[in-house]
Amino acid sequence: MKAVGARLPRYDGVAHVTGRSVFVDDVRIPGTLVAKALRSPHHSARITRLDTSTAERLRGVRAVVTYADVPLNVYGHLEALGIPADEPLLAEDDVGYRGQPIAAVAAEDADTALEAVDAIEVEYEERTPFFDMRKALDPDAPKFHQWGLVYPHFGSYNHRRVRRGDVDWAFEKADVIVSGVYRPQAIEQCPLETQVAVAVPDPDGRLTIYSCTQAMYFSMGVVAAHLQVPLNRLKFVGGTVGGGFGGKVDSASDTICALLAQKSRRPVKWRWTREEELLVSSTRAAWHVEIEDAVSGDGWILGRRTLTLHDAGAYARFSPYGVTKHAFHHTGAYTIPNLRFDGFVVFTNRSPTSAMRGYGVTSVSMAVELHMTRVADVLGMNPWEVRLKNANRIGDTTANRVVMQDPSTVPVTLAAAERVGEQLGQEYVAMTRDRRSGDLLPAHLVAQQAPEGAHVLEDEGGAA
Amino acid sequence: MRGRRDIIQPDKERRVRASDTEVLIPTSAAQAVEAFGDGRGVTVFAGGTILMPEIAYGRYPAGGRTLMLERAGLDEISGDGTLKIGAMARLSMLTASGVEPLASAAGNIADIEIRAQATVGGNLCAPPGAESPRGDLQAALLAMGARVRSAGAGSEGVDSIDEFVAGAGAEPRLVLAIEVERPRRAAFLSQRRPHAHSYAVMSVACAETGDAIRVAVGGAGPRAVRLTAVERALADGSAPTQAGAKALDDVEPQDDALASAWYRRSVLPTLVTRALEQLQGG
Amino acid sequence: MELNVNGVTHAIASPPLTSLLGVLREELNVLSPKAGCLQGACGTCTVLVDGEARRSCLMPVAAVEGAEITTVEGLGTAPDGLAPLQEAFHSGYAAQCGFCTPGMLMAAHALIQRAGGPVDREQVIDALSGHICRCTGYVKIVDAVIAASGGETVVAQAPREPEGAVA
Repeated sequence: MKAVGARLPRYDGVAHVTGRSVFVDDVRIPGTLVAKALRSPHHSARITRLDTSTAERLRGVRAVVTYADVPLNVYGHLEALGIPADEPLLAEDDVGYRGQPIAAVAAEDADTALEAVDAIEVEYEERTPFFDMRKALDPDAPKFHQWGLVYPHFGSYNHRRVRRGDVDWAFEKADVIVSGVYRPQAIEQCPLETQVAVAVPDPDGRLTIYSCTQAMYFSMGVVAAHLQVPLNRLKFVGGTVGGGFGGKVDSASDTICALLAQKSRRPVKWRWTREEELLVSSTRAAWHVEIEDAVSGDGWILGRRTLTLHDAGAYARFSPYGVTKHAFHHTGAYTIPNLRFDGFVVFTNRSPTSAMRGYGVTSVSMAVELHMTRVADVLGMNPWEVRLKNANRIGDTTANRVVMQDPSTVPVTLAAAERVGEQLGQEYVAMTRDRRSGDLLPAHLVAQQAPEGAHVLEDEGGAA
Repeated sequence: MRGRRDIIQPDKERRVRASDTEVLIPTSAAQAVEAFGDGRGVTVFAGGTILMPEIAYGRYPAGGRTLMLERAGLDEISGDGTLKIGAMARLSMLTASGVEPLASAAGNIADIEIRAQATVGGNLCAPPGAESPRGDLQAALLAMGARVRSAGAGSEGVDSIDEFVAGAGAEPRLVLAIEVERPRRAAFLSQRRPHAHSYAVMSVACAETGDAIRVAVGGAGPRAVRLTAVERALADGSAPTQAGAKALDDVEPQDDALASAWYRRSVLPTLVTRALEQLQGG
Repeated sequence: MELNVNGVTHAIASPPLTSLLGVLREELNVLSPKAGCLQGACGTCTVLVDGEARRSCLMPVAAVEGAEITTVEGLGTAPDGLAPLQEAFHSGYAAQCGFCTPGMLMAAHALIQRAGGPVDREQVIDALSGHICRCTGYVKIVDAVIAASGGETVVAQAPREPEGAVA
């Protein structure tokens, strides 16, 4: 433990302050072509005609690629996690968001590449776009995604479910019901380095890809799958990333750049403009979270009903995974034994959303914390004390029945209260994270408390 | 306002290779005027803060010649009672001059690096922004009753700032200088977030020159507008609140990426009132 | 036309409307200034033009003919010596991903040269206010600039040295 707490120099510190860190855009390979993409100007449309022949013949153009050039065009990045593939690398029959790539060009210089993009002939049949996730279940909402407007592959359900205990009992027993709606909005990660890739074909047929990805092995797998090549045909170089924050996990530029390099037999660089980065790249999703708590007059949260809608944008990407994480955390740092959670992944004609720090969890944390204060307001109780009373303690179980070994809710809340000079009642100041007992173990919390030493609560009875 | 600039599929007519345009760099005002001619097919390049991004994004304005004014000697500020501001005077020079409301309006723009490069002429002639207001100095210049000296087809002439702003686009003009009287009193207030590079949702400038108070708003529409109803109310002796209530008589605020028309309508009367209070108090 | 970059004069072949950033990165292989937005909004392209901080993405090279351009490559002492400002950024953890760092360094350098002595927090914020950093939260950057100028910083918490040898 010599390193923890020590002031060690960053291994890349000198390179950063001397301007010598090699970001992908700093990679210099003679003969590198410039790539530009043809992107859909429509939010939702069928593609009725696509003709790249004029573009291909322009002087200085070395390659044009469309869906026809991709060995496996539709590949699900998280198929291993049970999320089937839905998103094409390059659009074929239709487009689901403004900015969706349809074709890409590699040319000797940027001006030529842009002229080639302009020369691609494409015709669309526009469709009515769908933007408001709250209307996803309306029968006349315009459907554009092959699965409808709601992701249907949570097992046999079209939503992520958590059912625990007896939520109807809780709502009948409650002294008061507290409701709230929380709508954290989409956020763009906005790293200072935009999405960029350089792909270099080797004479032996392998490809070297200089990538800004946050996840080298993951991106390598994505490129290998789309190109249908074994992993040992690819060499990834990276790790110097000009900010990612989750926005560079999706491997947005590597594959198309690799395709262009393969087809042109030349090195190709694809650097997104700031406009592309802001308008097209994946963002943190917008969410709609409705929480209803069944609350006793003395501040116990007896049960919780939650409805979550998650705006996945035009394609699934990692959204089902994000909603699943969100579901795990929907009780927050608090112990609530009777639960009904439904989380829907909704498709809209917006840029597909993806990871950003705390994927899936920041949305539910925000909603839960705002809601806890709302509960306190309705009860006329101190919001610190409501939190401490319901806080996770050793032996309590989470929404999905994982046993808390050492939850920090109580000590952290008390430390924070002290830091800001909040005066709390004696009984609250004396609280610890120890296993519930006595007044802190009312009847309704008994079944959820795990036996000492257990890591998972196997069966507590109650409704499924 | 010309159609919304589509960044996903840019207007193909506008795409000209910047490397193909002929770049002229006159070394005097006279040379600049001659090179400008009647302005057809000429793109005037002042500070470059608006045009360089257009080049970077492949949207250089169609036109065979670029007139770069960097060395044309148009960057001086001179005069005592009447200030003569060369078209290439940098925004940083305006903030340093302390002449209000121009100094405050300029100081709100971007950051110190960009203010050292951007020019008053470029700002005055900026085409309306597609997504957010541009030409932040227009309101201040309108309030000051500035005069614009320009050249073009026919001759060199002086227009009032009102005529110049109203006639924008009718025929190409090369701005050479802006003349303003130092106001007796001035105020400037803008609705924006308090950090660099924050576009103002709206800004209100007022100034007393001669014995009249002029009031103008920027950001409520594609170009800045004189609030003549407010001015008349003031001339009739109204207090700031009553005069401010007239703010919407002369302008129909618009939606854009920064704010909705509703928000602008809600805010403008208060903004005008506070600017007028500042004017009276200062 | 000719351009002096970090003390060396170059003959420039790029067309006149090529940005200074483009000339530096593509023609001269001076790679420290970055293309973060190409709109002048982020500050990663900032270099010094005759000692003053400017956005190189917004300046056509024709406008800076004859000027002296300074980039991060021109700070410090050959071959590997760090200038006090660079040392302060490094030891003060003012760089995380490093992408904003060159622009921050040049703007800070210009400030310190202009001030000729210690600067305070207000001055640093004013000089660097057009520069975006998405990683650090700015505090360590501001502290590093103040420290390099000889000013006083507020140290959030004192460093704790590890026991035993450190690699």
